[in-house]
Amino acid sequence: MSDDTGTGTRTRGRGFVDSLVRSRGERNVLGGVAVVAVGILVLTALGVVRLPFLLSLLSLAGMYVLLTLGLNVQWGYAGLINFSVAAFWGIGAYSAALLSAPNSPLGLGLNPIVGFVAAIVVSAILAVFIGIPTLRLREDYLAIASLGLAEVVRRIILNEEQWTAGSSGISGIPRLLEGLPLTQNATNLAVVVVLIGLVYAFLRRVHRSPWGRVLRTIRSDEDLAKALGKDTYAYKMQAFVLGSIIMAIAGAFYVHVNLYIDPSDLIPLTTFYIWVAVILGGTGSNRGAVLGAATVIAIREGTRFLNDVQAFASLGLNLAPLRLLFVGLLIILVVRLRPEGLLPPRDELIWPGARREEGEE
Amino acid sequence: MTEHAGQTGSHEDMTYEGANLGKSDPVLRTEDLRKTFGGLVATDGVSVEVERGSITGMIGPNGAGKSTLFNLISGFYDLDGGRVWVNDTEVTEKEPHETAQSGLIRTFQTPRRLEGMTVREAMLVGAKGQTGESILPLWLSPSKVTREERANVERAERLLERFEIAHLIDQPSTDLSGGQLKLVELARAFTADPDVMLLDEPVAGVNPTLANDIKRFIRELNEEGQTFLIIEHDMPFIMDLADPVIVLDQGKVLMEGTPDEVRSDQRVIDAYLGGAGP
Repeated sequence: MSDDTGTGTRTRGRGFVDSLVRSRGERNVLGGVAVVAVGILVLTALGVVRLPFLLSLLSLAGMYVLLTLGLNVQWGYAGLINFSVAAFWGIGAYSAALLSAPNSPLGLGLNPIVGFVAAIVVSAILAVFIGIPTLRLREDYLAIASLGLAEVVRRIILNEEQWTAGSSGISGIPRLLEGLPLTQNATNLAVVVVLIGLVYAFLRRVHRSPWGRVLRTIRSDEDLAKALGKDTYAYKMQAFVLGSIIMAIAGAFYVHVNLYIDPSDLIPLTTFYIWVAVILGGTGSNRGAVLGAATVIAIREGTRFLNDVQAFASLGLNLAPLRLLFVGLLIILVVRLRPEGLLPPRDELIWPGARREEGEE
Repeated sequence: MTEHAGQTGSHEDMTYEGANLGKSDPVLRTEDLRKTFGGLVATDGVSVEVERGSITGMIGPNGAGKSTLFNLISGFYDLDGGRVWVNDTEVTEKEPHETAQSGLIRTFQTPRRLEGMTVREAMLVGAKGQTGESILPLWLSPSKVTREERANVERAERLLERFEIAHLIDQPSTDLSGGQLKLVELARAFTADPDVMLLDEPVAGVNPTLANDIKRFIRELNEEGQTFLIIEHDMPFIMDLADPVIVLDQGKVLMEGTPDEVRSDQRVIDAYLGGAGP
């Protein structure tokens, strides 16, 4: 075995648990996740947290996981700075809502599947459209353009009322898979878990492939990738489109859970949360994106109930308005203690079976 | 076999002889390359040829336009004039990656660190035409991707062994010293199977022992048929390694010749002493 890297903290190749957990810091993080998960389950069992609420919260977290996985493809893999996460999410949401809601301005009432497909197609077209002028330039141009795009998309949806119903929003969006013998909350959660599973499996393979390696080279040094004959523009475009499609899928899912959407949902705050989730989880890490998104939602939603805790209430503290502050503090804490994120990417990402040792397994 | 291009310099007391052209089998050819930055003429009608199988050196005082010339040839700068061929394929105005795919691979003066990659991964970026670099084959023909990847890993391991840095293969590539990075860069460039390799100061900032190793490896690769065009400030290094040597001064080709001819040429001495300016 040539696994000894001299980095000191690695304990790879010893067993199943060790293959999941590669350092003590990571063990602590995963241990923390387990404690929180058990805590939530206990609270649910005791009836403090009601099950339907927990299920819908998990669906929401799942949607954030999808968004974070999407941004991680763009920023984490390829180093593309996209500030229009909310716009691509909104494009997906509106594509699905307009096509599937019977009382939308289009009035088609199509199957949600069509809405999902439309979300993918429309977001891909928009990503190409914004990528063509910006991806050949330095990375900051995409950042600026995407900042503008987010506002343009929101304004168009707000003002083109004949197509989008404008500020009155779209309601009457159908639920997903109503025939299943589950509560709707459970069905929604199952759908998002399947979506995450598919996206994650897809990303896992491309991330470890030579394709992912070219993207990581571009992120680190685009000139080097060019000098080695890689068409960096094409790769950046692929990463940008792929990430945007995943964001749009998250949007399409959202409208079938929330059953209503209006332009005020496309606020830049969503983009901000997703960026926090990517950085918190570990830039470039798929596992990190999942955990980062879950953490952001846990803090955002968990802090809603701080006022219900007697101890705080008796102190006369109103903690609910301080939720953004908690998110900020958390970022500072992570940057101080684990600058690479909660679950940073593996030291080495290589196509499975490419190395002799692994090939024999 | 060779004839001089017969350029005449604009400086009164300096004859810019130009490079030797009309070589029998040039792998890289430039014709009258021009580049200006604002009012500064960085490259002024450079025509050079690199013979297949040679180690061609390129020297010149600071600001002579050597790195600019590399950037023009490899497509990183846009040309103001002139043409470039690699293996009789014209790569003028081509994107850097297209020039690379035509068989010209360059390295950079400052070694590039690939963050978040081990040396093994950093080596694997080099190979050309990898099936797994497109998304669809990852699902349609994963076994082909595995085969290629395995072959590339083995090749990378062999090369690192040969360059005596096999022990670094699991290291994060950001942990290497400057000299080790230069070696990795050389090895990686070689995995792209280039017809001609452009090395921009391969031993700048490298300790003498490692510099000697690098010299030995370049010579070995050359004996196996690899063509090099090398910019280097380290005179003993380049004079020992390269033949012919092209001398650049003020964006023009001053002369080309054997190391001995270059060493004893009064114009070269003047250029290095700063005597060329008007």
